[in-house]
Order: sequence, then structure tokens, then C-alpha cells
Amino acid sequence: MTTTPLNPSAETVPVDDTLLAAPGPWQVITRVASTIWSNTKARIGVIILLLFVVVAIFAPLLAPYDPSATTFARSQDASAAHWLGTTAAGEDVLSQLIQGARISVFVGFVAGLLSTAIAVLIGLSWGYVKGWGADVINFVVNLFLVVPGLPLMIVIAAYLQNGGIGMIILVVVITGWAWGARVLRSQTQSLRGRDFVTAAVFSGERPARIVFREILPNMTSLIVGNFFGAATSAILAEAGLEFLGLGDPSTVSWGTMLFWAQNSNALLTGQWALLFAPGLCIALLATSLTLINFGVDGLSNPRLRESRKAAK
Amino acid sequence: MSTEAPGPAAPSDALLSVRDLSVVYEPAGADPTFAVENVSFDLRRGEFVGLVGESGSGKSTLGFALTRLSKPPARISHGRILFDGRDIASIDSEALREQRQGGFAMVLQSGMNALNPVRSIRNHFFDVFKAHGHVPHDRREQRARDLIGKVELPAATLDRFPGELSGGMRQRVSIALALSLEPQLMVFDEPTTALDVLVQHAVMNTIRDLQKSEGFTAVLISHDLGIVLEATERVLVMHEGVIVEDGPSSQILSNPSADYTRMLLSHYADPRAEIVSLPGFEDRSIRRDQGVSRSALASPEHAPTVVTRSISTAQESIVVKGVSKTYPPPRRGEQPVRAVRDVSFTLEPGQSLALVGQSGSGKSTIAKMITGVEKPSEGSISFGGLDVAKLRRGQLRDLHSNVQMVFQDPYAALNPLHTIEYTLMRPVVNFTGLKGDDARHRVRELLDTVGLTPVEQFAAKLPHELSGGQRQRVVIARALASDPQVIIADEPVSMLDVSLRAGVLALLEDLREKWGVSLLYITHDLLSARLITDNIMVLHDGAVVERGETAEVLQRPTDAYTVALLDAVPNPARAHGAT
Repeated sequence: MTTTPLNPSAETVPVDDTLLAAPGPWQVITRVASTIWSNTKARIGVIILLLFVVVAIFAPLLAPYDPSATTFARSQDASAAHWLGTTAAGEDVLSQLIQGARISVFVGFVAGLLSTAIAVLIGLSWGYVKGWGADVINFVVNLFLVVPGLPLMIVIAAYLQNGGIGMIILVVVITGWAWGARVLRSQTQSLRGRDFVTAAVFSGERPARIVFREILPNMTSLIVGNFFGAATSAILAEAGLEFLGLGDPSTVSWGTMLFWAQNSNALLTGQWALLFAPGLCIALLATSLTLINFGVDGLSNPRLRESRKAAK
Repeated sequence: MSTEAPGPAAPSDALLSVRDLSVVYEPAGADPTFAVENVSFDLRRGEFVGLVGESGSGKSTLGFALTRLSKPPARISHGRILFDGRDIASIDSEALREQRQGGFAMVLQSGMNALNPVRSIRNHFFDVFKAHGHVPHDRREQRARDLIGKVELPAATLDRFPGELSGGMRQRVSIALALSLEPQLMVFDEPTTALDVLVQHAVMNTIRDLQKSEGFTAVLISHDLGIVLEATERVLVMHEGVIVEDGPSSQILSNPSADYTRMLLSHYADPRAEIVSLPGFEDRSIRRDQGVSRSALASPEHAPTVVTRSISTAQESIVVKGVSKTYPPPRRGEQPVRAVRDVSFTLEPGQSLALVGQSGSGKSTIAKMITGVEKPSEGSISFGGLDVAKLRRGQLRDLHSNVQMVFQDPYAALNPLHTIEYTLMRPVVNFTGLKGDDARHRVRELLDTVGLTPVEQFAAKLPHELSGGQRQRVVIARALASDPQVIIADEPVSMLDVSLRAGVLALLEDLREKWGVSLLYITHDLLSARLITDNIMVLHDGAVVERGETAEVLQRPTDAYTVALLDAVPNPARAHGAT
């Protein structure tokens, strides 16, 4: 009567060192990935995203010509030699498009990761501390929230003057972390009241460990969702800044392609592919990340998780 | 129970006859599970029947099926429910809605939270009258007053909004609303479980009186056999989807036929009795005679006795002196809340002390102050050389290595993402300085101590793979990991099924004797206090109203509040005049 019998599980459970760290980061990643994959919309998003990533990685191999070579006839329409035509400066549009994927994917991931990391660090500690420390963080976060994003980005970018990709990532991160931090803080505040957090205090855990080992793993879905959201806005912001001519115009990216297409009045000359192709790529990449976020919703919905487990 | 298709003929005065009813849960993508299997029974007109079972027995599923409130993925897969001669298992939803007037109604555990917060109680009644059109317009006010009077609430309650009423009052309102349709059958699903002990008792009395005066047929679903036997004439005992016993309450009490019923019954006792024992527990007085030492409460009335314990890890006592806790007023213009008023006591090494009172009596606040989670507004708390009220963060860790806590809700107290091994490893590493294999060995020892064997399997499990009782054992093991001198247990068994409670209590008692830890046991349940504590303090509105030896106080209570608490303990024997 004192102990109910165990479920007779066929496998004997080996207790090795890998279990000690449970749930290790690898387990969390597998769980996240399989949950996302089980959602149809998210699966489409993952496929599109993977396509872009593959193109970005193998860009030098896939591109038919050197993207910065200006040796071709100028402003040509699509042809067998140049599938998407050439620019006013005599570059191959398809090669530029393929090369441009590198910048967008890179900026999206790096800026998304950095702003999520800042949001996690600030949001979680903000949610856990009490007293004047929280008030100070509150003031700083509110400051970043009330300042309108785009003008701030333009001002910072103009001030840093053509710093290239690094500058754009910096600008996107500075303007992009605050909202995520606020969302993560409120979730931290609700989790810190749970008994298992109090129990961790009784187990002699230090605050940092409580925040990052007890609370953080329980907000995986929020953090993953925040990352994809941040990556989406980073890609859009990067393209926007370069379109406005605030990036380094000599780099080849979708944003600068749009910038040069606009400068050379591509639409008036009937070269719609110059604007349409990079525009569609930006939209598709952003859509793929948004679609993945549908699957991330499933992470926090136990009903979806249950049916996935049962289907195994 | 018959397995024949037509089943035995229903008695002529049967209001409800259920034949071979099965309810199946068919969640998407999972195997279907039968929550209720081939159940048959009859309810006579005007009968008050109890339906008892532990969690997962299918009792609520059956209750929902009877009133046709089953929702997917639950589905009535087989059988008939004849209500007044009509098979309601298969009628459509509009016919069902009409049936609800003068037919059957249900009162839920959470019914008190189902009231619309922006509509007055009067409007709730009028809405029901309007939907069914059974009360003429000019008589509505009178009818609402009658109904609210029937559940022993003043007529002024009709002008109130749900947020202005207490939980007990709201549950009474929801009973009155169910009554407004003049149902022939009322199903009460755990109507008092979410309420406080004393309120619980009062609401149960109202239900019983109502059933007698109104003459409706009633089914009372509860996990608590004590409450059911006190209230009802006949009891159905359910276990794993099957009715294992069906008989008059007095017979079930005196001569239960099913082993399961006998097991449930064995977990009830009167805390006032001379000798109290449960399965796994002998009475403390008997154990005492066998040489188990104990100590008395250090209070002016009771001189402390010297502890003579050979193996004892507890050396320091907790001294609480004149402690008060005042919270700021909840709303502007209101009085500040005085949660604890001038409480003093000493928890001697190796002693077990019960802190008893209903919710809001300040007992949990005292626990928070002792563990340094809250700071007292006045007075002092010391543990050995530590002044608990003035601890800084680093010292709090020293305090927690000696004073540990067992939480009320085992489902919330374990991080769902960490294995049992990780959960137990942390305090071992933090407090004992053991590392690697030594620490792992210690975790195995702890699991063995709390009876979770085979330890290797349990160490690798995640909390959701364990039952409530097993989880609570993990929580206790974690509290023991730092080798503490004091364990504070805050209602450690109130979330567990009756049959699991004794096991966890026995474990706590065992640990106290073998490990020599002091135990502060916080509860509203006087029976468990009687079983595992030597001394008791009764708290009411933050102040101590009675204290002394547990057996003495519970057998001869002097304060009216203690008597009220004792009367609220469900006791089947008392209700039927047997002993």
C-alpha cells in the first residue's frame, strides 16, 4: 500500500552520466525540433528556410558568375545566359540574388541570436530580482520601447556611416531586444512563484542557477518563438536599411540590390526582375520564419505534445 | 451487476436506472481507455445516494454521463440510462435542454467559479427563469428570494456580485441556481472539496437538509467516504471504472463486503478517541509505553520535559517569541491584515508539533517566517545561533541546510523537466559537499529511505511518470538531502488520495524517529495531527487559541474553535450512531 507498483517498463533504465545533466541541451533541441516538424505549416517553413540556408552556404558554387563582375552588357532582359537579366552596372542578377542570400540569412541568424540572448539575460534576471534593481531595468527597457524603432535605426546607422554588416547587426540588436525582454520577464515572474522554484531555494541553489537551470528550460517555447520573431525583423530591417542606402552599397545583398534597382529606375526600363526577385526572396525568408513560429506555438501547447507522443 | 442485455427489471419507483453503461475516452492518436465499464444501478425517487472512489476511479465520468454532460473525447459507448422511463443516453441536445427543467441538474466542484462576475446574483436567477420560461414574470423576484432562502442566505445576497461573496456563499448560490429548475435528480460532484474545512461542513449540512425538505433524488460524488457516509442513505463504491459495492450506508459501515471498501474505511478514525490507529500506525500512547521518547511544548502551562534520545541529529531548537505579521491593507481605506498575532512557541530538538487551523489562520505564514521566506513585523525567531528575521542571503543558505520544507502540492513542487536524480542531486551537492559517485550514491540512499525502490529506475524518471504519492516521497527525500535538523511539512498529504496518505504520514513519522529530526506539521486535518505529533497548537485568526499535548487537546478541547474543527472532521461512525 505504501508504494504503488511501478509500471513494468520493458527497458531497464541505465543511469549513466548523460542522464545526470538531464535534460541536456541536446534533448531540449531534439524535442523542440520534432514538435515543430509535426506541424504542417511549420514544416513548410522549415523546408523553405533550409532551401535558403543551403543556397547561402553553397552560393559560390551555385552562382553562375562572379556576382560583382561588371563585365556583362548592361540592363539586359532575361536570357539563357542571364536568367534574370543584368543590372545597370552590368552584373548578373541571379548570381547577385544567390550571393545576397548569404547576407540575409547571416544577419537574420546572428542578429536574432544576439537580441534573443540579450532579451533572455535581461528578461530573466529582471523577472527574478526584486527592489530597486528591477526599477532600473524597467526604466531602461521602457526607454527602448517608447523610442520609435525605424527612426532610431536610421539615426544610429547614419551616425556609424557605412560600417557594413557588423554595423547593421548592431543597429538591429540595439533596437530589437526590448520587447522580448519584457515578454520573458512576465513569464519569469509567473514561474518564480511556483513551488519548484521555492524548493530550489531550499536546495541551496544560487540565484543564477535557479534562473538558468530551473526557470529557463520551462520557457523554451517562448525563447524559440522570440528568436524566430527577432530573426524575421532583423532580416526585414537589414533589407530596409540597405534599401535606404544606409548600408555599405558595395556589398552584394538583397537590400543593396533593391537600392541599386531603385537608383537605376529598373521599373521604368521594364526590368521588373531586378526589384521583384530580391523582394520575393526577402518576403519568402520572413514568411518561412513566421510559419515556423506556428509550430513553436505547439511547444507550449501540451495537447499537441501529447498527441505527438501517442503517435510514436 | 448484470451482464445480461436487458438487465434486471427496475424497481417500480425507480427514477433513474442505468444498465450496462460504459464510457470510453478516445483521445486523438491514443488508445481508448474505459473510464466506466458495464455499470448498472437504480435510483429510487427521493433517495440520497453517495458515489465514492479515489482519483481515476471514473466517478466523475459516471456523474457527467448521468446528466449527459460528457464532452469529447469521452463518449457513452454502451448501455442505457433510463430517466423516468425515457432513455436519455441517446436523445438529441434540444430535447436534453428541455429535460434540464424538472429533470436533472448538476452542481460542480468549481461551480462557485462559474458565476458571471459582472452580473448580480439576482440576474443569474432571472437568466435561468427566462431561458426556461417556467416562472411567470411577476413572481420572479419572490421565487429568487425563496430559493436564496432555501440555501440559508439572506435575501440581500441577490443584490451582490459574485466577487463580493465568499467561496461557501458562491457554492450555495450555485446550488440554489440548480434548484431553480425544480430538478428531480441532482448530481453533486465534489460540491465542498474546494471549500475550507468549516465551510465544507456547513454547506454539506445545507445539502442534506435541502434533500430532506425538497425531496429530490440526489447523487453525491466524492473522494471522501467519510463525508458520503455521513450524508447519504446508500453508497456506491467505485474502483477502476467498476462499482465494487452497492449497499445501505449503515451496512457498508458495519459490514463492508468488498476489500476495497474495507481498505478505504480503515483510513478513517475519530481524532477524539482514546486510542487512534490507522493501517501502519499504532496509537502514540501505545508506542510511548514501548519506550519511544517525546517532549512537551514549552509553554507556561506545560513545563518542557527533557528529551532523552540516544540517536539524534537535531540539537538546536527553533524559538519563536512574540511574533506578529501584518500585511499592508489589500485596498485603500481598509484595515491592514494581521495574519499572525503575538505567537510564541519553542520547537525542541526531535519534537513533533502540529500547527492546526483553517485557511487564513496564519499557519502557513508562520512556516514562511521560520524558513526566512517572509520577515516578521514584530518579535523574533531564532534557530540555534541564527536570528532568522535578520538573515542575509548567504546565511539563508545555512538556515536551509538545517531547516527544510515539504510542500503541499507534489505536482507543483518538482520541476517537470528535471529527472528525480537531478532534483535530489542538487541539495546533496550544495549542502553536503559530496561530488560525483559519492553524491550519486547518496541520492540512491535517499530514494531507498523514502521507499522508492528499485532506486535506479526511480532516479532516471521524470516527475510526470510518478504518481502523486511517489512524487511526495521525492519531495520528502529532497528535504532530507541536506541532513536537516528540522522539517516543516505544510499540508503534505492534503492533495493525496486517502489510501496514499497513511503511507506518506508513516514515512514522516518514521524519519522523525530514526533520523531524529524535529517536525513542524502544518495541517487542517486533526486526524493526521493526532497520528504523527506529540504537541499541538490551534491557530485562529493568527492567534494561538489552544495548545498542549495532541491527544489531550483533541480528547478534551477547551476552546470553541477547536471543537468546531473537530466536528468538521468527517466521521462515518458518528453519523450512524455506531462506534
